Order: sequence, then C-alpha cells, then structure tokens
Amino acid sequence: MSTGINRRQLLLGIVGAGGALVSSAAAEEHPANPVAPPDAVSMLYDNTLCTGCRACMTACSETNGLPPDTVSGVPFESTLAAGVWDVPADLNAETKNIIKLYREPNSSAFAFVKRQCMHCLDPACVAGCPFGALKKNDWGVVTWNSSQCIGCRYCEVACPFDVPKFQWDKWNPKIVKCEFCFDQRLKQSKEPACTAVCPTGAVIFGKRADLMAKAKGRIAAVPGKYFEDRVYGEHEAGGTQVLYLSSVAFEKIGLPKLGSTSLGHYATKVTSVLYKWLSGPILLAAVLGALIKRNWNHHEAERPEREEHTGLRDQL
Amino acid sequence: MKAPNSTGSTLVNYWQRGVPIYREPLITPTLIFFLALAAIGLSLALVRFFSPLGPFSGMNDAYAWGIWKTFNVMTLTALGSGPLAIGIAAWVFNRTKLHVVMRTALLSGFLFYATGLVALGFDVGRPWNFWNILLPWRWNVESAMFEISICMPVYCALFLAFENVPMVLERIYYSSGDSIQADLLRWAPGLRRIYPFMITGAYVLPIMHQSSLGGLLLLAGDKINPLWQTPCLPLLYLLAAGLCGLGFVTFLLLIACLRYSRPLDLGVLDELGNLLSWMCFVFLAVRFADLTWRGQLGSAFAFDKMSVIFLAEAALILIPAIALRNRSVRETPRRLLNMATMACAGGLWFRFVPTTIAFMPAPLARYFPAFPEVLMTLGYIALGIAAFGVGVKYFAVLPGEINDWNRMFTLTRQRRQAVQSKGETSWHVSP
Repeated sequence: MSTGINRRQLLLGIVGAGGALVSSAAAEEHPANPVAPPDAVSMLYDNTLCTGCRACMTACSETNGLPPDTVSGVPFESTLAAGVWDVPADLNAETKNIIKLYREPNSSAFAFVKRQCMHCLDPACVAGCPFGALKKNDWGVVTWNSSQCIGCRYCEVACPFDVPKFQWDKWNPKIVKCEFCFDQRLKQSKEPACTAVCPTGAVIFGKRADLMAKAKGRIAAVPGKYFEDRVYGEHEAGGTQVLYLSSVAFEKIGLPKLGSTSLGHYATKVTSVLYKWLSGPILLAAVLGALIKRNWNHHEAERPEREEHTGLRDQL
Repeated sequence: MKAPNSTGSTLVNYWQRGVPIYREPLITPTLIFFLALAAIGLSLALVRFFSPLGPFSGMNDAYAWGIWKTFNVMTLTALGSGPLAIGIAAWVFNRTKLHVVMRTALLSGFLFYATGLVALGFDVGRPWNFWNILLPWRWNVESAMFEISICMPVYCALFLAFENVPMVLERIYYSSGDSIQADLLRWAPGLRRIYPFMITGAYVLPIMHQSSLGGLLLLAGDKINPLWQTPCLPLLYLLAAGLCGLGFVTFLLLIACLRYSRPLDLGVLDELGNLLSWMCFVFLAVRFADLTWRGQLGSAFAFDKMSVIFLAEAALILIPAIALRNRSVRETPRRLLNMATMACAGGLWFRFVPTTIAFMPAPLARYFPAFPEVLMTLGYIALGIAAFGVGVKYFAVLPGEINDWNRMFTLTRQRRQAVQSKGETSWHVSP
C-alpha cells in the first residue's frame, strides 16, 4: 500500500482548492454559518448565578438615558402603584435590558433571564434594513443610526428575538435596542454598564471566543447542571454574540428554538444570485425587450392600414 | 347584449378602442360618497403626519406592520398588477385582442400603486429620511425592503405614469386648438420610439418588486406558519399578482360596463378568462409542489384553524381554475364575474394571510386595526375608486365601439369643433 497521494485524492484536492478560491473570491454577504470576527465582543449570562437584583437594569437605563417605565409592568388590580416604580413588563421603548423571572408551574423552582439585543453574527435586522441604519459596527456590535432610518420597522418583523422596539408615542420615533453601550462605554474601552455593575458575575463581558471557552468549561465542570449541556447563542440563527447558560429549558425563559442557519442567508440565498450585478433583471429585460420589439414592429407596420380603415388615430 | 352586426361575422369585436363615458354627469352621488370617504382618510393621514403612530393604529412592537403595509401595499398592489399581467400577454405573447383593455388595466393599476405608496408614506415613522435613497453607498442592496422602496415608486411614477400618458395626451389633442394639436403630433413619433423600451421596463420592475413583496416575509422566518413560510414566497407572490391582475381587470371591465351600460365583448372576456384559468392552475401547481417538497401536505389537510384558512385559499383559486376551462362559463358574463371575483379573493387571501393571520410573532401578541387606521385604509381605496370614476369620463379608458367614439363628438360642442377641424367625424363604420 502506497502512503502517497493517489490520483483521485489529488484531483479532489485541486477541485476543493479551486472551489475554496471561487467561494472566497465571491465572499457571500450572508453565509449560512457566519464566523465571528476575532475581536467580537460578547456577553455571557448564566442564570444559575443571577439573583435577580436588577442592578443591571438600573445601570443600563442610567447609562443610556432611558426614562423609567412606571406603567407597563403594573398589574391591573394595583394601578394605584403606577407612576412610582420602574417596572417594565418586557423590553420596550424605555427598556433596553430586563431581568425577568420564570416560575415553574406547580413547583417552587424558578429561574431568571436577562434579555437584551443578542448581537447576532448575521443579524436579520441588518439584513433587512433598507438604508443601512442598523449595521454590524466595530467589535460586531449592532448599532442604529437615526439619520439613515426611515421608520419602516422591518427590523421588528425580522428579529427572531423580538428585540428592536419602536417609539409608538413619539413624533420623531427611534428604534430602541441594546447597543452594547457602544458610544457611552465601549469606545472609551469600558465594558457595558450591565456587566460592569453585576455583583455576582451572572453576566460577564469579554471576547466571544474567550467567553465561549469559559461557558463550555462551566458545562464540563458540572455535567447535567445546565440545560442540554450547551451554550445558547453558539449556533442559534447562525450564532449570536450574547451567550446563555441556563438551568431550565431555553424556551421556558423566552429564548426561542431556532435553526443554525442565519435568517439573512435564508432570505437572500436565491435573490443574491439572481440580483448579482443586476444580471437577472438585465437578462429578463433583454428577453422581454426582444419579444416586445418584434411585436411592436409588427404593430407599427400594421398601424397605417388600421388608422386608415377606422379613420381614427391608434390608441396606446 | 347587441346582436352581431350586418357583416354577419360571428367574431364581432364590440370593443374596438377606448371611449370615454360621455353620457353621464361627472358629479354623481356615488362620486361624492367616495370623495367624502377619501377626504376623511386623507385628513386623518395629514393629522397623523404631525402625530405619533401609536394613537392612529393598532400596531405594536410584535405586530409592527398594520394594514397600511400588509393590505394597502402588500395585498392590494396584486390587484394593481393588471398592467403587468395583461401587458405581458398582449405585448410579449402577442395576444393582440387584449390591447383594447390595456387602458382599463393601466389606470386601475396606477391608482392601486399610487394610493399604496401614499399609504406607505404615512405608515413609515421617519419619512423625511427617504432622502437616503439618493446616496447609493447607503443602499442595502440585499434587502427586499430596499428593493421595494426604490423599485415601486420608480415603477409607479415613471413607467406606469408613462403608460398612462397617451390617454391624457389624446384628451388634450381632441379638446384643444390647432397649434396644440400640431405640437402633439410633432411629439407623437418620439413617444412611440421610446414606447417599447418603456414597456419593457414596465414589466421588469413589477416582476422584481412583486416578488420582493413575498421576499420581505422570508426574514420573518418561524414567525410565519410553515404553510406560508417558504423559500418560494417570492415566486408565489408574483404568481398571485398575475392571477389577481388578470382577475381584477376582468372584474372591473364587467362591473364598469354594467354600471355605464357598455356592451360586452365576449371574445376579449373569453381570452381573459382563459388566461386567468391557466394562471390559477400555475399558482396552485407551484403552491402544492412547494407544500409537498417541504412535507407540509399533512398539516395542510389537518383541518385545524390554519389548515382551514389554507384550504379556503386553495378552493377560492381552484374553483375558478376549473370552471373557467368551460367556454360557456367564460362567455356568460355573470358566471365569469363570479369566477373572476373568486380568483381575486383567493389571490388576495394568499397575499394577506402570511402578513397578519399566519404571522404569529409571540404567543400573547395581538393586532387588530384601530378605527382611524381602518378609516385611512378605506380613504386610500376610496380615493382610487373616485379617481377611476372621474378618469373613465375624462379619458378614453373603458373599451367601446368606434360608433360610440364618433357619437361622443356630436354631443359636445367644444369637442365637435376640435374634431371637425380634423375631419374625423366623417369616418363612420356603418352598422
């Protein structure tokens, strides 16, 4: 048996290398499984460490200058309490970050969850945003630019995590969502307010690769402690920069079950080929145009006779 | 119905050219009703421009799109696709019979698009940022929303408007003096020179944005019930546009001819019914092939809520598809009207359902249009209806006979003078 490369392997190698060259030359804007850039910042939330103190919510509102939401989380029977406490029911136009409590039915078991923008590797909101108001900024942070947003709210329709919120009560409405404290803190080399203030280390800040390793280390240290022994956000919707470890099922704490393909890839895999350099529309125009010109010439050739017969000018 | 004329031919063409409705007063109670409805809707829209969206609509962060987008734009522009469907049949596939109904399609299509774009303008939260359309480096060319926001206004304002220009120029021609007529005759060859290129654009653009309307929903992913969420959505949206375009023009011709006592041309209507039937079959073939390929046939026939909604859509399209294969159905106006209405309803149902009913973003999320929202939607539609009612009286839109055309000029003194100067009244096609 020879240990050298046989002809078949060589051929496969050449085809493979050629294929890689072609695919890297035509870098896909929305690959099925996007790869995080090496400097991608990340957040790891572990709900076995969270005490639900909500210090992160206060820090977030303060840093981002968000007004308190004293209405949406107040139960109907205690409306007298409205207007006093900051009690958002969920993420909304005044709340970029929230800690929610999940209670197991007929049991004393409970778990917290922190919700904010997931900063997807290939975000559906960015893929849909018509004039690039939402974009993947430095360190992979998804930011919103007011001067490029027409307020179409496609981001809200597209986001699988229901994160972007719209100011329905403002004349000059903004899209409100976590931007990783991009302008307020990241640019000054400070970590986001929520991770900086967390007293128990339930949510920590770091590079995505480092936090992924740390999360997998925690799973390996105590197998069975975490749901499905896996990190939520590693593959969901093509991967996210916010990672979760949970003691209960992810769906129970409101993290949806998603495939590993990015939505941007699903939505553009056909059109990105058809619309490449407008080749599809140009080809279509050429074919239709040729047929139309032929029929048009025929129509024009017959026109004088028709006009003479009816005594009326041809109508288009 | 009129008897065949003295030539004895069985293929009598009653629809020979567009003729204005000239025996009716312009202002009618119906017109005033629709204008009033439009005025209410547009006044509300104006107030909405200086107010937040919240109080005007039932939209929320889960259902971020309401009926202005999902109905006025994503659904009703299917009915406005007559210029696309009939234009392609007439100019690309040389179905020359259909040229005579093009203007009906063009005017109604233009009004559906224009009112849809007005709806869109008052729906977006930050319309003043539309100027970004002038900065190509900010374009997100991969986004279906971008494709629509550039393609739809360009189509409506440039191509569809251009296609409607001849009937306006014709009206000016027949109602003005010699010098203006001479100018118009000088421009006519230029207009005819660019015409084939413009109509090519007028078919490519709507093919792009009508499919992109379906493409919009792809990013919504699992939020849309799997009976509707499919990579084929762009193709199905386009086919539904073709189906609704053919169906609606048939519907509109029948209704308008009934309203204004115009004789019908069964030859042309037969052709429309025939094409509509095939379009329905093509739509259903793609729809069912897609469901089979994705393994969703089981849930399609599960007879739960979503299955029933789907089956209603399939039935509304399948019944006219089969019925219209029958010549006697196509040539009986009442039955053709029923079938065309049904096909339109099925196409619209397909286009609307995945945006709202089968769109389930969160378990507790609810959306029902608010009262002002409904009034604005009705206002935009009423504006289109009123404009069509005026349009058919001002311009030669609805198809009629050459006799009708000639008789029209004997009724209006101003018109008669203009025409006499052309000597065109002497050309009578003797009955």
